[in-house]
Amino acid sequence: MRLTAQEADTLASAQVFSVKARPVVRPVEEMYLPSQVAAPAQVAEVLRHFTGVQVKDYGGVGGLKTVNVRSLGSEHVGIFLDGIQVDNAQNMQVDLGRFSTAGIGTVALFNGQKSRRLQTAKEYASGAAVHLNSARPVYGDGSHGQAKLRGGSFGTVNPSLQWDKDLWKGVTLRTAAEFLTSNGRYKFPCFDTTLVRENGDIRSLRLEAQLFGQSQRDDWQFRAYAYGSERGFPGPVIRRALGFPFSAERQADQDIFIQGGWNRDWSERYATALRLKYADSYTHYDTHPEKNPMALPYDLHYRQRSGYVSVAQSYVLANPWSVDLSTDLQRNALDSDVGQFVTPRRTAFTGALATRVAWERFRAAAHLVYMGAWDCFDSPDAGGWTRENGYRDAWMPSLSLFWSPLEGLEWDAYAKRSYRLPSFNDLYYSQMGNSSLVPESALQFGTDLRYTYWPRPWYWEARVSPYYNRVSDKIVAIPTSSQFRWTMLNIGVVDVLGMDVKAKAACQAGPWDIGATLRYSYQRALDHSTPGSQTYGNQIPYIPLHSGSLTLSAHGNGWSFAWDSSFTGGKWSRTANTPDYYIEPWSLSDVTVGRSFPLKAVRESSMSKLVVSLALNNIFNTHYEIVQGYPMPGFNALLSVEYKW
Amino acid sequence: MAAGLLAFPACDIVEFGSNGPVEDPSRDEELTGEKVDVSAIPADVRKVFVLDEGGMGSNNATLDFLRVSDGNYVTGAFKKMNPSVGAGLGDVGNDIAVHGDEVWIVVNNSGIVEVLSAKDETELAAIQIPTPRNIAFDDKYAYVSSWAGAYATGNYDMGYYAITDYKNPKGLVWRINLGTRQLEGFPVEVGYQPEGLAVQDGKLYVANSGGISSQLPPSYSYDRTVSIIDTKTFTVTKTVDVQVNLKNVYADGAGNVYVTCLGDYWSTHSGLYMIDRNDAVKHVSDYVSVSAIKDGIVYCIGTEDEFDWSGAPKTWKAWSCQNGTKSSLSWPVDATTPYGLCAFDASTYLLGDAGDYFNPGNVSLYGGGKKWTVTAGVCPGHFAIW
Repeated sequence: MRLTAQEADTLASAQVFSVKARPVVRPVEEMYLPSQVAAPAQVAEVLRHFTGVQVKDYGGVGGLKTVNVRSLGSEHVGIFLDGIQVDNAQNMQVDLGRFSTAGIGTVALFNGQKSRRLQTAKEYASGAAVHLNSARPVYGDGSHGQAKLRGGSFGTVNPSLQWDKDLWKGVTLRTAAEFLTSNGRYKFPCFDTTLVRENGDIRSLRLEAQLFGQSQRDDWQFRAYAYGSERGFPGPVIRRALGFPFSAERQADQDIFIQGGWNRDWSERYATALRLKYADSYTHYDTHPEKNPMALPYDLHYRQRSGYVSVAQSYVLANPWSVDLSTDLQRNALDSDVGQFVTPRRTAFTGALATRVAWERFRAAAHLVYMGAWDCFDSPDAGGWTRENGYRDAWMPSLSLFWSPLEGLEWDAYAKRSYRLPSFNDLYYSQMGNSSLVPESALQFGTDLRYTYWPRPWYWEARVSPYYNRVSDKIVAIPTSSQFRWTMLNIGVVDVLGMDVKAKAACQAGPWDIGATLRYSYQRALDHSTPGSQTYGNQIPYIPLHSGSLTLSAHGNGWSFAWDSSFTGGKWSRTANTPDYYIEPWSLSDVTVGRSFPLKAVRESSMSKLVVSLALNNIFNTHYEIVQGYPMPGFNALLSVEYKW
Repeated sequence: MAAGLLAFPACDIVEFGSNGPVEDPSRDEELTGEKVDVSAIPADVRKVFVLDEGGMGSNNATLDFLRVSDGNYVTGAFKKMNPSVGAGLGDVGNDIAVHGDEVWIVVNNSGIVEVLSAKDETELAAIQIPTPRNIAFDDKYAYVSSWAGAYATGNYDMGYYAITDYKNPKGLVWRINLGTRQLEGFPVEVGYQPEGLAVQDGKLYVANSGGISSQLPPSYSYDRTVSIIDTKTFTVTKTVDVQVNLKNVYADGAGNVYVTCLGDYWSTHSGLYMIDRNDAVKHVSDYVSVSAIKDGIVYCIGTEDEFDWSGAPKTWKAWSCQNGTKSSLSWPVDATTPYGLCAFDASTYLLGDAGDYFNPGNVSLYGGGKKWTVTAGVCPGHFAIW
């Protein structure tokens, strides 16, 4: 029943000063996964249900899935794993399809400014943020584990294993492994006929080890992560001569990273957090022209490396007033064998100064973030664009307020300016690069009014959140005089006026928890780039004006049922809002049934149990496309069996 | 427009691949579009076909035409006249040509060469060719350039052709018999990523770009040659070095062949080159963004600002070339991205503007000044006069 849960970082520190415990900004959406009997297996599935979020999905288990919050663009949405950003300097798009929910405790969405003590400077610096936090094992709980097997449609077989073991005083080791294979085959309507999606198969393996440590003053964790995958890209659905496949493209990825965080309370007033990360990602992309006569013969390799260090300090000046200073340093490098490649290197500094006051009823936080990035590249005689080394910087101020005038009535508001750096592709891609780009800027205003009322056994909640975003200096690819050559320019302006509405009712009836949640989003996202152009004032691509969902759930006696229906309104795939580029609205309904069987008690504090759940997705077999040319699967079913001890 | 479409039940449509007679030669007359003033267009022109390339992977190539008899600019004509081809024209229309009373359209990323009736745009045949690029004709054959050099090896074991390097393959030229509308014989290997071609005096000239090869290891280099094929033996008899990244080929009917070059985008400028009847190469001029040939005269529009990537508006200059001699033209050019040119004479021309390449572009008629502008499809880049 409990859908809100405190994040690990607020639990960690002491309770003497109330400013440390009272959040000024709370996530607009948060899901505590361990409490769900049948939690979604993919992070993208969790986010799909959050208000104001569009998950752009190219279809299938291996298809790229990116997230766009309130029409800011996916480059403005930071994805954070235990407070450390998962980033991609090449194109700034993080494929959420690669994140399973195994081992994740909470998934939280922040629209404006996340503002917690001891957060990294980069956590202050994204326009919107999705935070994935590990479900921390508790020392002293002994040895725990989960073994799960999931499978079903598309030939999906997805076993995973996780095992927690207390090592020594206060230190717990978690090891986890997950394998996924899927043939990616599903039927889709192709113009006048029905075909089966081909070359959408995937195999992936994830191996992880984590150490968690806690003592009176210290709280630390360390993670070593390795992910490898090999997948096909089925390609867009187009008119193709009979006998020629849509695609034979394959991609292999090998990602490894190590990251760690250490929080220490030096005194009741002063605390620090140190975070470190090193990541190495290798990608091999091959169009296989020998298998597809329509393929252009590309066989390319990319390697991205990044090193990151962050120091955060927090000091309580006078309760309930505190001040935080966070400083991050990061270095990114990209290497490739693509023609005229300039092997860019970026050294970026992010600094954030934050101050918070938090009385019981009124709380406020002000933040000032500075971001600066020094770029260089070492192939002076390749390519045809200006190629001075560049320093780009930006100041990002923001203000967050919280006021609770009555018990159960809460109001908050934020104003924020954020920037995102141009990606390496924006700057240096051999066919379309422009090194004179400035950071893309987002101006955000939002407010949120929430009323909760809980006369037992009932629980009622209503929330209305209007907002305005303006994305300017938006980096847009535009053609030049030569037909094969594009350039990137800071010319885009998008004005977004939107409103998220959420209503929830829940009731405890005997052993049953019954709940209903209604969500609705209105987004008017208009192109205001070039006055007088044919697209000025039109809705930007892929943003529906209306969307919403209804979720009904019931839990009790070891059973769990959920029904979810979502609606996505009509939208366009081009800024020219013409009938040729209109994407029809669709609605989807998913059903989940879960059953938990208690087994013999391994120890007093925990019960071992078997959880069986069945997810029936798209039960009405709706054919739809989120991205034009990329059909999504129809009805599919996935069964999972999990043993927890 | 929709009324015109509904007037024709699907059974009227000539079936895929059939060569049956066209029953009603004027069935597209009910298709109407934007009304425009066509008084400047020469009287012997019946229709001007406009091929909108569309975006790669978007399946939105479209065929427009300007009907001179009543001054209608009709968009999306292929889909309207061929509703039974549910997928439409396909993905990336790369070339269009009129041969007799037929319109031939090369649909690059669909792997299809469409043959339509010029009278009413109904499909006469759809011929399968891997990654086709451009088309040219003589009396017996249509010649189609193709990038798919790797096609003949690997899993597609056609048994008749072998290439040395499928990682960086050379391109091919295929031959379509105009009588049977079927591929005839083996393709001939030319240079890297062949583009435009033209036939003159029994010789087929093929411009090789190397546009993909320039991005591939180990040499990362453009092609800079024109392959000359003897049309009787269908073999390459000569390879002429011209300049990097060649694009269009035009035969002037007087023994000269013109080749445009896209340049390398940073040190070598785009330009026009002439190959005379003795295969000697002459540089005519730099700066060619769009070009067309009419009555033996090549018309070009280009800009000296072509290496300016700042997005600032560019200054366009037009010029023409006859027998290797360049003359300046005082053509007005009012377009964001000039993308296709159709010249009628020394002062009258249609110009396609691709705009942002993503949304529908437009086509304008100039004759002295700009006469009108109509909305076309995405990337209106190729014209053919019937």
